[in-house]
Amino acid sequence: MKSIALGQYYPSNSILHRIDPRIKIILAILYIVCSFLCKNIISYAVLALSAVILILISKIPLKIIFGGLKAVLFVLIFTSLINIFWTTGEYLLLDWLFIHIYLEGIYAAIFMVIRITALIIGTSVFMTYTTTPIDLTDSIEDLLSPLKKLHVPVHEFAMMMTIALRFIPTLVEETDKIMTAQKARGVDFSSGSLVSRAKALIPVLIPLFVSAFNRASDLATAMECRCYHGGDGRTRMKVRHIRFVDFIPLFIILILGTSLVVLNILGIGFTM
Amino acid sequence: MSEIVLENVSFYHGKDTPYEIKALKNINLTIPSGKITGLIGHTGSGKSTLVQMFNGLLTPAEGRVLINGEDIWKEPKKIRNVRFRVGLVMQYPEYQLFEETIYKDIAFGPRNMRISEDEIDERVIQAAEFVGLERELLDKSPFDLSGGQKRRAAIAGIIAMRPEILVLDEPAAGLDPRGRDSIFANITEYQKKSGSTVVIVSHSMEDMAKLCDNLVVMAAGEILMSGDRATVFSEPDKLTAVGLDVPQITQLMNLLAKRGVPLAKGVYTVEQAYEFIKNNLR
Repeated sequence: MKSIALGQYYPSNSILHRIDPRIKIILAILYIVCSFLCKNIISYAVLALSAVILILISKIPLKIIFGGLKAVLFVLIFTSLINIFWTTGEYLLLDWLFIHIYLEGIYAAIFMVIRITALIIGTSVFMTYTTTPIDLTDSIEDLLSPLKKLHVPVHEFAMMMTIALRFIPTLVEETDKIMTAQKARGVDFSSGSLVSRAKALIPVLIPLFVSAFNRASDLATAMECRCYHGGDGRTRMKVRHIRFVDFIPLFIILILGTSLVVLNILGIGFTM
Repeated sequence: MSEIVLENVSFYHGKDTPYEIKALKNINLTIPSGKITGLIGHTGSGKSTLVQMFNGLLTPAEGRVLINGEDIWKEPKKIRNVRFRVGLVMQYPEYQLFEETIYKDIAFGPRNMRISEDEIDERVIQAAEFVGLERELLDKSPFDLSGGQKRRAAIAGIIAMRPEILVLDEPAAGLDPRGRDSIFANITEYQKKSGSTVVIVSHSMEDMAKLCDNLVVMAAGEILMSGDRATVFSEPDKLTAVGLDVPQITQLMNLLAKRGVPLAKGVYTVEQAYEFIKNNLR
């Protein structure tokens, strides 16, 4: 429970933590594009290497990175199995009963695993692990601010996201507290049939909903008391300025993308 | 008779994360049977963590928790029975009310114990009486009650389980002075009638001085002092060092004693002081 409460953000003092969050969001998007540019063994190797380098400079312990990957382990295994057994090609490796395994299938599976892993490592290292949730939503607001011209309520969306993120830990803490209180009254959450376990959640959910609604109405009152009226003319206490150094990682990732394209054109190694 | 003993208990919050804190450090403690024990400490001193050790809501990282000499974690699967024996009223317990009526909510604990409906009924009525809830309130929804009444209902929900040991975490927090006095009066009354062991957590010295025979002072996850209240209040400097204070009336009497007024030590309540002055200073 506690691990959700603290979010994915991992406090540290790496270069990645210090890059402007708006740049980091762009970096994450560009990195996703990069991972889809790969076409042959060499470019995939470069992609895998870049993911390793990212982890190293982010100073995030491997344990946490692998913990994050565990969530997609099933997807990884599933897609590689499908790729291995259902890809057809020229080089037949195994032909037994109804199982036909081609060399292309093996490659496709390996490539897919590298691509998904790099995708997840890239986005989480650029965004969730090294940027606080509040910074993230603020940056999304900034990046989408051109849409304000089209009367899209960008600020309101960002505010809703900020509030939602802000209250996740509070609600988790509250859930924890209520669960403990009900455990003290003899509720058993961890054993019994599925039905009895689901029933055991009623004494948690009802108080949780009641307090969530109370909290929401308190928050609305508090915001109104401070004359909150939406995004028009609203300024920030901390204004971020993009410095020159913030552009350096952008250049690096553009170089990565270009080199991947070049590697594809050269066509060295096995190409999918 | 039920006594709680903690042997070398340690506990960590957020173990193996960058936010790890050692909340309890080698706690050795005995909660005497059949008395009211007050657990005092500043915010964040580990009081609430400690009381969750008593009924097995938290598992000690190191050390043992014994009730009547028996390790409560001997059979982890039967920990629920320990929770019926050690009733814990959490902080702000009114947020745990969820049933349609107060009656049903008080009956929730006993019902989890799988006892007969007749006995549940008897226990609910008696528990409601102990905390001073009127009969006609029992059929109301918990959400229609005032804050103080909700608090009473929640406490009744634990008392109805008839625990050998009753632990209350800040039972009077956020109540007005009258509500606070009457809740404490109910608890004292309950203790006298049932003869059970009671532990009250608080940071109010005034309340603790009035109520408790025995005091345990916590600071930064450790036991700073423990013993009867005369022993604990005899070292005011030690208490102020951790942000606590002896009761104001005790401070006053001590100052008077310093100025040469012959006043006995060991005055903890205004009533005591009044009696004392009336009898000695004519």
